[in-house]
Amino acid sequence: MSRMPLPADRLVQPRLVGYDPTHPRPWLERIAYTLFFSALWVMVILAYGAVPALFRHYGWLSTTAGFLIYAAVEAVFAFLLAAVVALILIVVLRKYLGKVQERVGPMHYGPAGVFQTVFDALKLLGKEDFAPKRVDWLIFRLAPAIVFVSAFLLMVALPVAGGWVMADLNVGLLYIVAVSTLGAYGVVLGGLSQGNKWGLLGGFRAGAQLVSYEVPLALALLSVGVYSGSLRLSDVVEHQYGLWHVVPLFLSFLVYLVASIAELKATPFDLPEAESELVAGYNTEYSGMSFAFFFLAEFVELFLLPGFMVVLFFGGWHGPLFGLEPGSFAAGVLQSLYFLVKVAVWVWIFLWIRATLPRFRDDQLMDLAWKGLLPLALVGLLVAAFLRMFLEVL
Amino acid sequence: MNGLRFRKTAEFDEEVYAVHPEDYRPLLEALKAEGYDYPRSLSGVDMGYGLRVVVHLYGIESGRKATVYTDLPYDAPELESVTDLWPGLEWFEREAYDLFGIRFKGHPDLRRILLEEDWTIHPLLKRYDTGGYPLPDWQPAPWPEPAPWEEPEAAGEGGEA
Amino acid sequence: MRGPTTVEPVPGRTDELIINMGPQHPATHGVLKVVIGVEGERITRAVPHIGFLHRNHEKIEEARTYPQIITYTDRMDYVSGLQNELPFILAVEDLLGVEVPPRAKLIRTIFFELFRIASHLVWLGTGMLDLGAITPFLYTFRDREMILEITEKTAGARMLPNYFTFGGVRRDVHPDFFKDVAHFLDFFETRLPDYYALVLDSPVFQARAVGVGVLSRERAIARGASGPVIRASGVAYDVRKAEPYDAYPELEFEVPTRPEGDVFARFWVRFKEMEESVKIIRQALEKTPKTGPYKGKVPPRVKPKPGARYRAVEISRGHLGTYVVSDGSERPQRVKHRSPSFANLQLIPDLFVGARFADAIAILSSLDPVFGEVDR
Repeated sequence: MSRMPLPADRLVQPRLVGYDPTHPRPWLERIAYTLFFSALWVMVILAYGAVPALFRHYGWLSTTAGFLIYAAVEAVFAFLLAAVVALILIVVLRKYLGKVQERVGPMHYGPAGVFQTVFDALKLLGKEDFAPKRVDWLIFRLAPAIVFVSAFLLMVALPVAGGWVMADLNVGLLYIVAVSTLGAYGVVLGGLSQGNKWGLLGGFRAGAQLVSYEVPLALALLSVGVYSGSLRLSDVVEHQYGLWHVVPLFLSFLVYLVASIAELKATPFDLPEAESELVAGYNTEYSGMSFAFFFLAEFVELFLLPGFMVVLFFGGWHGPLFGLEPGSFAAGVLQSLYFLVKVAVWVWIFLWIRATLPRFRDDQLMDLAWKGLLPLALVGLLVAAFLRMFLEVL
Repeated sequence: MNGLRFRKTAEFDEEVYAVHPEDYRPLLEALKAEGYDYPRSLSGVDMGYGLRVVVHLYGIESGRKATVYTDLPYDAPELESVTDLWPGLEWFEREAYDLFGIRFKGHPDLRRILLEEDWTIHPLLKRYDTGGYPLPDWQPAPWPEPAPWEEPEAAGEGGEA
Repeated sequence: MRGPTTVEPVPGRTDELIINMGPQHPATHGVLKVVIGVEGERITRAVPHIGFLHRNHEKIEEARTYPQIITYTDRMDYVSGLQNELPFILAVEDLLGVEVPPRAKLIRTIFFELFRIASHLVWLGTGMLDLGAITPFLYTFRDREMILEITEKTAGARMLPNYFTFGGVRRDVHPDFFKDVAHFLDFFETRLPDYYALVLDSPVFQARAVGVGVLSRERAIARGASGPVIRASGVAYDVRKAEPYDAYPELEFEVPTRPEGDVFARFWVRFKEMEESVKIIRQALEKTPKTGPYKGKVPPRVKPKPGARYRAVEISRGHLGTYVVSDGSERPQRVKHRSPSFANLQLIPDLFVGARFADAIAILSSLDPVFGEVDR
């Protein structure tokens, strides 16, 4: 890599690794990240499509033992998918911020830096995961697990293609609300257990923020449920066959958009993690793998919340099938690609907002939730109800 | 300003007042009443024969500058605080205490500001070298006669005791 | 309103939390410890502690010759390096009776204003980082890089160049200087709309800054606040207009002032100051002859006549003054640096008490302290 001109009389010629600014290779970056995206697509196909199709094809699901084995295998794949998603999103966030900020982002590991997160994860695994003496040990250990499990459980309900979903719950929308709130528990408990004033403040703020934004989020989800007549997520997607929900339910969409950024604890709502104010808030005393759990959960949610937004408002996996038979495996593959592309667009927009805006103060955040979003969400619910009645009458 | 012991000169573009330590505060009160409302600085100077406290003032409306100084002996470095006249001198007085040992009577919070609380010496005094160690053969210089506020000056005005 | 000397928990009160915003903290712009009493989210008491960066400039400078001291002065407000040299140089020039040629004055003014822009860019980047916006930081440091490269070409060093000297500047400007500065100014003017859009016009920022940390005019004057802090409270006090030095008497520029005294006003004033600096530099560039004397006649051994002189300049943070007491020898009797951040930090008890905790960060970043000059 030492193509940078160095004076020949230097006694020690340094070896440049990773990035030579005189020979940037943008094509390498584009290829590497496209392959990365394809890796995600393959993982999604495996976890959501191939494995259930395999089990159904051989009829193993009808037996109890078969079903239990299916559940275990799916859990493993879901965990792998969560890991791959987090892996990709962390690097994409850093590269994207680099692009916005006129710099390059990680370049060292892998072509154009794609394997950065692998090494970050290895580093975190290698760090000593100690708990300071004054923490409440049980809750301290449990809190990151709760947060991660909540993100993980959300993944189970996400439908990525026609018939491709790990658990097609008939109360899918309610399930989303319930499980997100579980995640809020983890954050508050994490802050409380640290025995540290900064962590305490972070936990309080995070808890107040998450709980406050759950209410408009739930109402927005409810509007979608009312409009489509079912709580099952696959039905919600099917209902958007003619018209995506974002058009009639635009108000609920806006509420969902803002509330989901707040649920993600992303800027402009990243007060719980405000590094410049609270060091790391509820994260302060965590290190090593416990910290990695919080971190990974946040990025899995960065994938899931736009994922649910696409499912609820942007037609999920709908797209031209080019003559493939709907319900077939090939159709599923194509539909999952459409789904991932739409999710990618929304993730990009979330990251864009994150790069641009400063953060809100906590009371402004609360005002926005209770005085701004909640009335809008109620109005959106009314609109959804009226439209549903109108459609039924027709 | 009658009855106060001071001497006023004009140097460069300022009015410089050399004042007796006991009349330091009355003179400053009078200057504040004249319109010097902006405190620029207060500093201690170790003159070799004693400690000098120099106050630089400025009038926002008039644009006039004034400098007031007074000399204190090494063994009695006490002066009255002017923080109630100009709150902006609070930390400057603390710094003069910290580095020179000048005590300001009436200061709301006279404690060390730049150095830690447990330091015992006041390092900017000339008896210490740059490392804070006392110079073995340092002696204070004799007090200059006449004292700055008593010197009869052809160009000066101001009351003399 | 002053706080108590220390913040002790009041026995029996359980609703007040004593928090130590300690010397190592990502938002305090350096090493500052503020012990804060918080009730819920409101601050009830605030006591700042400084001195963590005390490097004993003043005692060291008493043992150095006058030209050696110029190197030390750079290091006070390390963000606006060259600007700190000037008050000391002006005071000694007064005591020496040295004439500065007009071309040298113009060159000094150009660098002075370039470093004002550089310093405000650092403040903007780090200030917005405190408030959560991560992008302006990278943009401002990119722009500051151009100023540092210009300085490096002429003076040899980037941040702390030790370039000014008694009677003018140490060496003539680089042949590319005029072209580089003009290029930088053109580039910077295209960047300013971006900064406005990201900062001043951003509704999220305005929600954080308007009406927060209001400083009244009387309190600002009484506390000796200076620079953008006092000009954002309605007092048009700028040392460049009050006690003009170098080439400022011949240059036309305005002093932006705003009456509200809140965090938004202080941000706004600094933005406008950057624009004014661009105007000043353009005028000075036109007036500066490309060749000519860059330093007046100064005796080889600098021995100012016995006496004392206080000179002040308007650095990016405010009124920086140097009081030089000379006893006629090569080394000064006393050099006292009156730094703007030292005086401005006295405002912390005034501004923090009654504000929300999250506002404390915004207020501190709007005061723009640099601890090199607070602690010296």
